[in-house]
Amino acid sequence: MFSKRNLTIYATALLLILALNFLLPRLMPGDPLTAIYGEDALVQMTPELQASLVERFSLDKSLWQQFGAYFAALFQGDLGYSYNFKEPVFNVILGRLPWTLLLVGLSLVLSTLLGILLGIESGWRRGDRADKTMLGALMALNGFPDFFLGMVLLLVFGVTLGILPLAGATTPYSGLSGGALVLDVLKHLVLPLAALTLAHLAGGYLLTRNTMITVLKEPYMLTARAKGLSSRLLKFRHAGRNAMLPVITMTGVWLGRVVMGALFIEIIFSYPGLGYLTYEALLVRDYPVIQGVFLLGAVLVLAANFLVDLSYPRVNPRIRHAH
Amino acid sequence: MHIDIKGEVTHSGSGRFGIALFLLLVILAVFAPFLAGYDPTAQSAEALKSPSFGHLLGTNHVGQDIWSQLLYGARSSLLVGLSVAFLATLLSAVIGASAALVGGLYDSFVMRVVDALIVIPVIVVLILVAAYIQPGLWVLIILLALLGWQGGARIVRAQALSLKEGMHVSAARCFGAGKVYLIFRHILPDLSPILLVELIYSLRRAVFLEAGLAFIGISDPGIVSWGMMMREALEFSYLDVWIWWLLPAGIALSLTIVSITFLGHALEPAMDPRLRGEASA
Repeated sequence: MFSKRNLTIYATALLLILALNFLLPRLMPGDPLTAIYGEDALVQMTPELQASLVERFSLDKSLWQQFGAYFAALFQGDLGYSYNFKEPVFNVILGRLPWTLLLVGLSLVLSTLLGILLGIESGWRRGDRADKTMLGALMALNGFPDFFLGMVLLLVFGVTLGILPLAGATTPYSGLSGGALVLDVLKHLVLPLAALTLAHLAGGYLLTRNTMITVLKEPYMLTARAKGLSSRLLKFRHAGRNAMLPVITMTGVWLGRVVMGALFIEIIFSYPGLGYLTYEALLVRDYPVIQGVFLLGAVLVLAANFLVDLSYPRVNPRIRHAH
Repeated sequence: MHIDIKGEVTHSGSGRFGIALFLLLVILAVFAPFLAGYDPTAQSAEALKSPSFGHLLGTNHVGQDIWSQLLYGARSSLLVGLSVAFLATLLSAVIGASAALVGGLYDSFVMRVVDALIVIPVIVVLILVAAYIQPGLWVLIILLALLGWQGGARIVRAQALSLKEGMHVSAARCFGAGKVYLIFRHILPDLSPILLVELIYSLRRAVFLEAGLAFIGISDPGIVSWGMMMREALEFSYLDVWIWWLLPAGIALSLTIVSITFLGHALEPAMDPRLRGEASA
């Protein structure tokens, strides 16, 4: 079951991430303040401000003391200040988070459910025509990078047909409220959501199908069949439920990638979530924002993996009893 | 564990399809200079031209021939993909197998590092690092390899551990076989199917990541890449040029990944014989 060993793994990973985030700007050649804030920001600073920043990061002290200062600031939720957005990084990220959660969360639910259903169906009919068609189609789909899928959808439905909006999450300056606003948000959501769901569909499908094929050969399936259970019951209750286990794990791991999960899609549709924020920050080398998103993304991945580890014995009794 | 890899691939439809497509791409990439007709980086005054006999896929915004760029893009994609795949698999093999064979403290240390690396999100680390150092082609390859060996190492280690205790290895040991003989004669050959699958997965990931990073603009701007072509083409989406500019680059990239996926799928029954009963698709 859950052990001290797992805890050590996550602690080590977290420490590695913090160290990377701390060391990278400080190991860059040149002035560390430039590397922490980016050149553009530094030009706007007064010498007094620079001096106070040097003191704040303890840049005149030893590396260990700097790490201490960095750590202490993090604990207070201080991720630094973005000169590009003229706002603390924490607030910038908080403002973008809901859009990413909406987009990635919905696509995760949709692609997982669809993937499991198709996978059960396909595995049940393994080898027949419907299975082969579905397998071929989804494997081909799996090869399409999400950003290409997104671009094609954008160009076909947005540019050529002109029936859906091209960019953003809402119509700017429209002053909409209530039902009209919800409709507007949904309209903007359709294309990025479709692209992301299609791109992730194959993963859950292939995994369910493979597990399904393995599960169908288990002796208990033969027993269930011998008891005279209907094939519907066999397919969903006996085989399907067990075939879902690995997909649940996969979805849990994906949940952690929520921050960067829609990176490319958000960029293509200028969807104002964390992925697009990263891109904007990358363009102007707004290092504090990049570092903040990196930290949040990494910590969420660790947390999701941790939760999957914790919950697995609950979902799969075989593990619970193995210890 | 003796598996006929060649048979496994050539007997399945998807395996044959994957191999044929991949070989075609390799041929196009290798013979790019003869097939291209233009220097893919040479700019000309003929910007944003529609396809014609002179320019099969027209020209881009600075007058570069898109067909030539497409061919040279295959080169970068395959060069990065294959180099990363070989490096990462080599790292997995050496680290995983040595952990299994040496054991003890070394093993526990290596595996803790692997555990920690597995939970770290690769693409996020790549973007952070790339934002600071703006990697060239070879630095990118090394970065991708360094961030891509951990999963394989765990699998190789598990396999090597079970091989080490295998009957045939014990038998050979009883007959007086030395360590080096055992490693090269029994352990490495039996690891090869796993390494091959690992190679294919790394290849797929590396091709995707190379294109993705070029697409968001973190790559060497002097090197023609499909991801870069797509980024540039997207800026002109209000013109019809995307049909012969963006689509070919995207389709080429997708076909590359699809061919690798099919190849990997054909090898899956080799790894997990329980899947073998099905009629292969």
